[in-house]
Amino acid sequence: MDRIRILLSRFAFLFRRRAMDAELEEELSTHLELAIEENRRRGMAEEEARTAALRSFGNVTQTRERYRTEQGLPFLEALARDLRYALRQLRKSPGFTITATLTLALGIGANAAIFTLIHATLLQDLPVPHPEQLIRVGDDHRGGISWFSTQMYDQLRKNTPEFEELAAMQASIDSSWLTLHRQGVAEVPHGEVSEWVSGNYFAMMGITPAAGRLLQPADDIAGAPMVAVMSYSMWQREYAGDPTIVGSVFVINTHPVTVVGIAPKEFYGDRITAYPTDLFVPLSTEPLLGEGDFTHNPRMQWLYILGRVKPGVALGPLQAKMHAELVPIFSDIPYYSDAAGGEERIKRIRLSLTPGHSGIAVMARDMVAGLHLLMWISGLVLLIVCANIANLLLARGLARSGEISVRVALGAPRTRIVSQMLTESVLLSCMGGTVGVAIAYLMSSMMLRLAFPRAEFSPIHATPSPQVLGFAFGVSLLTGLLFGMAPAWATSHAQPADALRRSNRTSSGHASLLQRSLVVLQAGLSVILLIGAGLLAKSLINLQHQSFGIEVEHRVVVRLNAQNAGYTTEELQPLYDRMRARMLSLPGVTKVGMALFAPLDGDDLRSDVVVEGQPRPGPADDVHSSWDRVSPELFDAIGQHLVRGRNFLASDTAHSTGVAVVNRAFVKRFFPRGEDPIGQHFGMGDMKSAADWQIVGVVENAKYQYPHEEQQPMFFLPLLQRAQSDTKSIDVSSLYIGSIILVTTGPISGLEHQVRQAMEEINPNLNVNNYETLEEQIGDRLSQEKLVARLTLLFGLLALALAGVGLYGVTAYTVAQRGSEIGIRMALGAERSNIMRMVLQGVMLQAGLGLLIGVPVALLCGRYVQSQLFEVTGGDPGVLTTAIATLALAACAAGILPAKRAATIDPAKALRSE
Amino acid sequence: MGDGKSDVLQGTLDLMVLKTLESMGSLHGYAIARRIEQVSDHTVIMNQGTIYPALLRLQQRRWIKAQWGVSETGRRAKFYSLSKLGRQKVETETENWERVAATMARFLAPSN
Repeated sequence: MDRIRILLSRFAFLFRRRAMDAELEEELSTHLELAIEENRRRGMAEEEARTAALRSFGNVTQTRERYRTEQGLPFLEALARDLRYALRQLRKSPGFTITATLTLALGIGANAAIFTLIHATLLQDLPVPHPEQLIRVGDDHRGGISWFSTQMYDQLRKNTPEFEELAAMQASIDSSWLTLHRQGVAEVPHGEVSEWVSGNYFAMMGITPAAGRLLQPADDIAGAPMVAVMSYSMWQREYAGDPTIVGSVFVINTHPVTVVGIAPKEFYGDRITAYPTDLFVPLSTEPLLGEGDFTHNPRMQWLYILGRVKPGVALGPLQAKMHAELVPIFSDIPYYSDAAGGEERIKRIRLSLTPGHSGIAVMARDMVAGLHLLMWISGLVLLIVCANIANLLLARGLARSGEISVRVALGAPRTRIVSQMLTESVLLSCMGGTVGVAIAYLMSSMMLRLAFPRAEFSPIHATPSPQVLGFAFGVSLLTGLLFGMAPAWATSHAQPADALRRSNRTSSGHASLLQRSLVVLQAGLSVILLIGAGLLAKSLINLQHQSFGIEVEHRVVVRLNAQNAGYTTEELQPLYDRMRARMLSLPGVTKVGMALFAPLDGDDLRSDVVVEGQPRPGPADDVHSSWDRVSPELFDAIGQHLVRGRNFLASDTAHSTGVAVVNRAFVKRFFPRGEDPIGQHFGMGDMKSAADWQIVGVVENAKYQYPHEEQQPMFFLPLLQRAQSDTKSIDVSSLYIGSIILVTTGPISGLEHQVRQAMEEINPNLNVNNYETLEEQIGDRLSQEKLVARLTLLFGLLALALAGVGLYGVTAYTVAQRGSEIGIRMALGAERSNIMRMVLQGVMLQAGLGLLIGVPVALLCGRYVQSQLFEVTGGDPGVLTTAIATLALAACAAGILPAKRAATIDPAKALRSE
Repeated sequence: MGDGKSDVLQGTLDLMVLKTLESMGSLHGYAIARRIEQVSDHTVIMNQGTIYPALLRLQQRRWIKAQWGVSETGRRAKFYSLSKLGRQKVETETENWERVAATMARFLAPSN
């Protein structure tokens, strides 16, 4: 108790030291005056009274000192002294301080930024109470089932009391837009990202609304009044938080729907995506608002399932039970009841319950490889930073060895010297850490802007979390301590006599070898990064400029949704004709193609194919093919050439015979023995359908799905034809086009506005969801690759700059140290050019050694990133040469200045300064 | 001490100060020093200055408190007095000392 009281009051004294000192002085002088007075009262003379008083008081200075010792905190005082000393030292050499701080800050900042990004995309929990209770049914990673039909969901929900709530949500929301406008208000209909969710979705999440109410199970019953919940971000973005939105009626896909509430501010839906859900609508509205009544189609698996499990439920048995519930439902689906292999397929059904604390982790799944690569890269940068800092501190320690020797000789204890130097490096690390956090904030907001275009409402924040801050400071402190310790130890153990004797006549000693090896290491690491950056950049260029099999220049893709505008299938042919004519009338537009989806817009439809006259495929056969619906002009519009047969014609209408055009890859897969594909029939799904489509033409391969993928087999159908065997086999929504492709004579200014206006004229509800060039659209598919490649390049250049600084520093230092030696050489007749060559040779030797280490390591690492590269090998000669040349150039640049300085040394001066 | 006078034991001085303040109430530093000299009948030889670190120590423990006032001769001086905590401590400290003194006395008594 006493000790705490003492400590506390000493702490308090720290802050009023000056006042305390004054008080003591006054107290002491009062004491003496009182003593003198008393002595005089006893009859002493003035002088005698004073002497007596002083004598009985004792040593005044000592009293003062002891008083102060009692007052203070010796540890803190020593620290404060060291800090003041360190600050003074750092101020004395601003060049060193700024270089070291910036170096450290860049390294820490880069790492903290990557860490923030990783933390946000991979580790972030949903902003709901007790996220650890959430369980995802299914898992994207392990190849089990994770998509469910409405029927499956109902079955699971009814039979699993183990869950507090088991909720379902639309699986694919990437291109799920609803067109809406507020009723009774002059407002242009606009498309918003929507998601169908079960009535208990919000109850499962356990969250409370920001305004109004959230969806309830009663809303999710067929025939119930249609309601929706708006996201907080849309409420703010579109309506500036207008409170009257709650309870107002919106016209959504031409149907009136009441917005009953606003989701809480921090809630971004069940997954992290670039475009978070803005409108939550009950599953029961899907048959009316949706594209094709998925709800009543048992074959349509369109839902994800996420549940909140009751405490104490064992997941193993629950998983087995749910699997058992699902099997009979699968058995009713033709694909699984099929005599050939159906049973085998049923056996292969796997269901796993996985942690759902971060919701549906689609982003984590897509980005994990890229993020891990970035983590390695930023780690390398940090390593370079450490080498640089060590080098700077070493050089500084050596430069100060004379001063320290004098202090040791004068009796300064080694512990004090070590603690002073450590204080200095820790102070430096703290400064670096602080600036680093600022850089981290800037960098992560930049990265987030690249990754999430709607950054201001993104679920991910650039503010580094406490963990990230801790990480940043921890790393910088560790760096400071680790690399501050060695020079501190080395210099404090210098023999003072030695150091004083040799004064400044030195040649390269063993510390210099350490410095050189550090520089070699830096050069090696930066060449690795440069090669890595080069490989990724080249891969990106290859991806972007590969031959997609189509023309991409001067093509514009207009995405819209005619189904949202309320057209029936019978009205479609006239609508398409009208749209086509209207688009062609726009100045600068030369061709107009229409498709269910445009090449490389992120969509992909796949189906099993059965060919007439061929045996029924077994369960292990790969009979998948992608497909699309296109207008007769589309192939021409995108430059996909016809190889054989004929194109679609205006006469291929909804009522004529079913025809199809296939690509070369399709021919190769389904007619491997060289049969003539023209005139053959095939179907989608079961054998009954095998006569549905007659192949009339073959086109060149073109990439429609993913830039990285091999060419996929594809078949194309006319826009409005349906299968003869079963008109329900393809859902109606595929009859509604999703994209119009315009070929223009060049960049046309104001075309976007004209297109939007033209569509609005045709029907105000015909909302253009997206307007971009085909090139931009392809770029969108590569946003992650761009992010990784750009950051790697950034880090590579950073590493190069740091290595350059390191090289420069060491060379400049050696030149300064060897001043007299160079002077002697010149006095003995060495040419200036010889001196320059000598210095530059030293630099190039270090860079060369770095290359010798770096290149093989980079080649080895290249194998591990091969999976992320497109049409580039890990040892691409072009990339290697560029990286090596860049490093050599940087080394030259770093060496030229010190070399010049060496060459201009005046021999007379250099010798005299000895 | 360097000047040849022997110092009083630290604990001893603290208790002397406490006891002085207990019997005399509020006193300034000089008066405390004089009082200790008088009470000990000058058998304790100490530098008067040593009492200031002792006073600070006691203050830090919150056993005594200090207040500026005016001395009998009209001088501004810091007056010290016992705190509530100090009053309790005087008792326990006295007991401690009595126990120690008694023990010592038993050792120092002529062996029987």
